[in-house]
Amino acid sequence: MLSGKKATRYAIALFLIISLNFFIPRSMPGDPLTNLLGEDISLTASSVQELRERMGLDRPLSQQFLDYWHDILRFDLGYSFHLHRNVSDLIYDRMKWTLLLSLPAMVMGAILGTLLGARAGWKSSALRRTQTGFIMAIYCAPPYFISLIALYLLSYKQGLFPLKGFYSTGSALDIAHHLFLPSAMMTLFSLSRNYMIMKGSVLQEKGSLYATFARAKGLYDEQILFRHVFKNALLPIITLLALDFGFILSGALFIEIVFSMNGMGSLIYDALLSRDYPVLQGSFLIITIMVVSANLLADLLYSYLDPRVRWQ
Amino acid sequence: MKQNTYKIAPVLLLCLMLIPFSTASEESSGMVLKIGTPNVVKSASILGDSNMGVFAHLSNPTLMKMAADGSLEGLTARSYEVSEDGKTWKFIIRDDLYWSDGEKLTPEDVQFTFDYLAENYPAAGWMKETVNDISTQDDAVIFKLNKPYSRLNLEFATYPILAKRIWESIEEPMEYTNEGEMLGFGPFYINSTDLGTGVIYFKRNPHWKGASPNFDSVEIHAFANMDVLSLALEKGDVDAYYKYAGTYPYPSVKKLEDTGNFEFVEKDNIGLIFLGMNLKKEPMSDLSFRKALSYAINYSEMLKLDALGFGQVPNAGFVPPSMMNFKQTAQLEQNLSLAKSILDSAGYKDADGNGILEGKDGKDINLIFLTRTDYQRVTELMVDYLKDLGIESEIKNVDSSTWIKQKDAGEYDLTITRSTPWGMLMHANWGTGYFDSRRTGEGVLHVLEDPEFHKLCDDILAATSQSQLQDYAYQVQDYYGENLPGIALYWNKVVTPYNKAFSGWYSDPLYGIFNVDNFLSVEKSR
Repeated sequence: MLSGKKATRYAIALFLIISLNFFIPRSMPGDPLTNLLGEDISLTASSVQELRERMGLDRPLSQQFLDYWHDILRFDLGYSFHLHRNVSDLIYDRMKWTLLLSLPAMVMGAILGTLLGARAGWKSSALRRTQTGFIMAIYCAPPYFISLIALYLLSYKQGLFPLKGFYSTGSALDIAHHLFLPSAMMTLFSLSRNYMIMKGSVLQEKGSLYATFARAKGLYDEQILFRHVFKNALLPIITLLALDFGFILSGALFIEIVFSMNGMGSLIYDALLSRDYPVLQGSFLIITIMVVSANLLADLLYSYLDPRVRWQ
Repeated sequence: MKQNTYKIAPVLLLCLMLIPFSTASEESSGMVLKIGTPNVVKSASILGDSNMGVFAHLSNPTLMKMAADGSLEGLTARSYEVSEDGKTWKFIIRDDLYWSDGEKLTPEDVQFTFDYLAENYPAAGWMKETVNDISTQDDAVIFKLNKPYSRLNLEFATYPILAKRIWESIEEPMEYTNEGEMLGFGPFYINSTDLGTGVIYFKRNPHWKGASPNFDSVEIHAFANMDVLSLALEKGDVDAYYKYAGTYPYPSVKKLEDTGNFEFVEKDNIGLIFLGMNLKKEPMSDLSFRKALSYAINYSEMLKLDALGFGQVPNAGFVPPSMMNFKQTAQLEQNLSLAKSILDSAGYKDADGNGILEGKDGKDINLIFLTRTDYQRVTELMVDYLKDLGIESEIKNVDSSTWIKQKDAGEYDLTITRSTPWGMLMHANWGTGYFDSRRTGEGVLHVLEDPEFHKLCDDILAATSQSQLQDYAYQVQDYYGENLPGIALYWNKVVTPYNKAFSGWYSDPLYGIFNVDNFLSVEKSR
């Protein structure tokens, strides 16, 4: 259960992070007007002033900060003058696609990575060593490069998948066809990371006294691994999964760039380059809520899996 | 059977899960021309998204257009005339233009467009200060100005003509977005814009009375990744490449050539890459120092390394030969010993013998070189050239917004930047918009405060005849050659690849292949 002290800590963290979300974009040089119209457009002084007023940039920072909190409390994420839409609509549009791309990859990567990693850490064999070598190569290689190679071989050379986008015709099968390769690439990256962590974790746990005791009791290997060692080795993975969940929206940036997908990653990246404060604030807010919720969930899971945490 | 059901079940489940995401998207039909571009449209706003604005010229042509030789001709206007004092401009509107819903385009639409843009579109704010009155007379639209303005016809080669009945109820044109059908009177109109797939679908305007296009539809496919766009070209997913104010990457040209399936439109760029200097700071404010810099640069090497030879060594007059009223000035060349002797005569000496020249304040010259990732290679070459001259410089690599901010605040000594085709034409033409200190803008340096230069710009704007304009154009290029407010690094070519299965490509200096004439002349080869 979540104690009152812990709940207060989460509430304070949430308040501080959301406040920081206001100041971080403003600490970068420039503002949303800097990059609004294009490099070869010139504005008269009165047009500049008019635009600054419309965007609320002429108000003192303290006033802007109060307005920001006022809007957040009314669930109003503001308006993007760069993308000409309400930020909440923009985020909803992009988020659903990014979640469709990333969530299955995260889940599959977690399941496959932990299971394969646990087995590889538990017992060595020629097949498992080859498997580890392959996964380590994926783990070490830049995601952008691997994705581009996969796209070149499977989409360009073999013509098995489309080169870009979330869809062409928009039917369910068409979407699945477009998502398969990018999602598989994300699964592979997530799997490789989880595999390496889990393998190391199981290697550490299998030398523990409780594992030796279980073996002395006459339990089979599979029973020792999945009934006793797996649960303890899983703890570092839970922390990582909580972090993954928090960054699920922005973490697909490379995949989105390679496959020309208009998701949350590219939304945040473009907003960063154009200093689109409302989009940055709105996206950071969603990420903040997801990170805090994921940490909360990880806390609860930890206390469920590890009684020592509960007793503390 | 049961096993097969188990195999199919996950696929069916996945499809069921995807049904909420299913969306009605357009499918290609009839003869389609597909253009691939790295210019990603981020919102379906023809006045609020610069890329969308360029593409919308096909559905909402401009009043004027730039011909291949850089001269100006009517597009929506059949012809135009200007009074002797340069203050009254009369544009005769073509009478064979129809909106895609069958209504005729009227001079009132044109009048409305410019009244409306002047009032509501910040980038057209200059009109409020220049145009006194816009009226119609039969099939003509008449602009009465409060002062002569020689560039009016050029300015009108950039603004799309809007349908009065649609736009008069829209208060904020930049914020108006429409992902569905948009009324157009060009040979094609925008049928839909799918931001999810990054495609703009144009359909043939059924009421177009001009030369008949050879395609039923045109599609613009945006790619966030240039490598993938190249693959799409090779694979035949798109038929041609387009980038506003840009070329197909030179290193990838050979690969396309080797396939044997592509040809290229090669056009001299009227934009260029140049060395910008903060003329408000020492030693850049010293003409001798700028001259020495111009002799320190190895232009041939720069052209070879950065543009793979697609271009030529520039002249001191800055303006490329592809611009109207180009004047031949001295060609820039590397001459290190001359550069050193100029610096020596001007008092820049290495008195303490540490290998670095001292400025007039007696301190070692150490310059801040502000740059962006796009110009990293050129900047590194420049730093080497400066080092050979005995000048230290420190590269400050920043993103575009930071560059704009620091450039405007004067927090730099040198910078590498580019001029776009429109950038070269803006203000008083011939690149003046980049230097005149009375200007502001994202890409401009506004560092030249010389009254002589300001007067020259004002004279150009107030010119009332072509011969006057030509005379001033020559003066501007002489001024650049003598004063070097910016040093052109190379004049390059814009290379646009297209699939050999298509022919008849036509490019103009301002928008490249994205012009109405091109989409009427391109055809699929038999």
